[in-house]
Amino acid sequence: MSKTDDTKLIERCREGDREAFQALLVEYEKPVFNAAYRMLNSRDDAQDVTQTVFLKVFEHIDQFDPSRRFFSWIYRITLNESINWLGRTNRLEPLAHEAAFEGKGPEQEVESAKVSSNVQAALMTIKSDYRSVVVLKHFLGCSYVEISQILDIPEKKVKSRLYTARQQLKDALTGRS
Amino acid sequence: MAIEQKFTDLINAAIDGDISDREKADLDAFLASSDEGRDLYDQLTNLCSALDALGTEEPPVHLRHIIMNNIPTESRPEQEPHPLLSLLNYPALRYAGAFAAGVLVALVIIDSTRVSNRAFDDVTGLVGTVAEPVESTGAQMISVDEIDVAGTISLRSAGSIMILDFDLVSKDHIEIEADYKDPSIWFNGFAQLESEGTTVAAADGRVRLGMQGKRRYAVYLHNQRGHETQVNLRFLADGEVVHEATLEYKPAD
Repeated sequence: MSKTDDTKLIERCREGDREAFQALLVEYEKPVFNAAYRMLNSRDDAQDVTQTVFLKVFEHIDQFDPSRRFFSWIYRITLNESINWLGRTNRLEPLAHEAAFEGKGPEQEVESAKVSSNVQAALMTIKSDYRSVVVLKHFLGCSYVEISQILDIPEKKVKSRLYTARQQLKDALTGRS
Repeated sequence: MAIEQKFTDLINAAIDGDISDREKADLDAFLASSDEGRDLYDQLTNLCSALDALGTEEPPVHLRHIIMNNIPTESRPEQEPHPLLSLLNYPALRYAGAFAAGVLVALVIIDSTRVSNRAFDDVTGLVGTVAEPVESTGAQMISVDEIDVAGTISLRSAGSIMILDFDLVSKDHIEIEADYKDPSIWFNGFAQLESEGTTVAAADGRVRLGMQGKRRYAVYLHNQRGHETQVNLRFLADGEVVHEATLEYKPAD
């Protein structure tokens, strides 16, 4: 959805138009749910976070700065709510490597086409700040600039976090600490 | 020997397509001279491919419905939501273990002879406990996404028992009629799996359920011969049919 379309819908939301809000919900439900799912590795938790995100959007729509892109605002809320959720459920600390993986050899982990569950498990072994960057880049398709705006950090730091996250994921999948 | 950070960054930049011609030339020269560099390049490329290949998850079909039900009708944050709607605001109930081995559920056990041939008998109050069948097969699932009701219903079997598993949410009271015309099949039980308050009435060849809010429950049908059959579902709000669906049971070969 274009920025213009979003802006029009947000204006209508501010006037209490439920249909406009539903249009935003239809547009962003899936990416919000998926971002939360990749952050939390649980469909139930992702469902709860998605509910919270949209309720917050509705309640605080007046605080949205129309000069910015709506997706960067809602994605930021999603990541913050996911990290808050991890904190409330005492899961901020990454999983121990042993808890995430079993069995397969290191080379196979990276090279096999059937690594989805292990890749998701590996995601849970890295810190949530780093996981956020991976989620934005690989699951929401954001550019470096967009990630920089969403997380409010310099682009250079985005790259640094992303590269470090990839290294840690690779190490996790290849069994290196 | 450790790879210089500069080349690690170039590898990542190349994977993301964020590399200039000059940087690309530098990287190519490095990769041509470093086995370790080529290994890292391959591993990171495979990792990124695996990340991109994870794909997207479909949100639960009733999620949109729940969110819209929780949005205040007027944009006044201080307004208290309807007590019923606040039910829907609770975090999703945890039921991952509900179908695990040994889980006990409240269950109505009905002798088919106790169900009259014409009128519906209210059997809501007949509650016992029974172990959830562990070995179930042949699940077929349908989704409902209407204004009045949303969620999923699945049909699976465990031996001669067919299990209709309802996971639904409705803002107002709705009724659901499950119709199974096959005379060799009879209503065999009802379980409130993670909620209470659903009513159930049974007649010959038909079960009627009444619910409001977020509910999960199961209806058990006895299919002695285990043959192929179907269950027709009708969803009624204020007496009007708002949705119809059919679940089909096919025995495993």
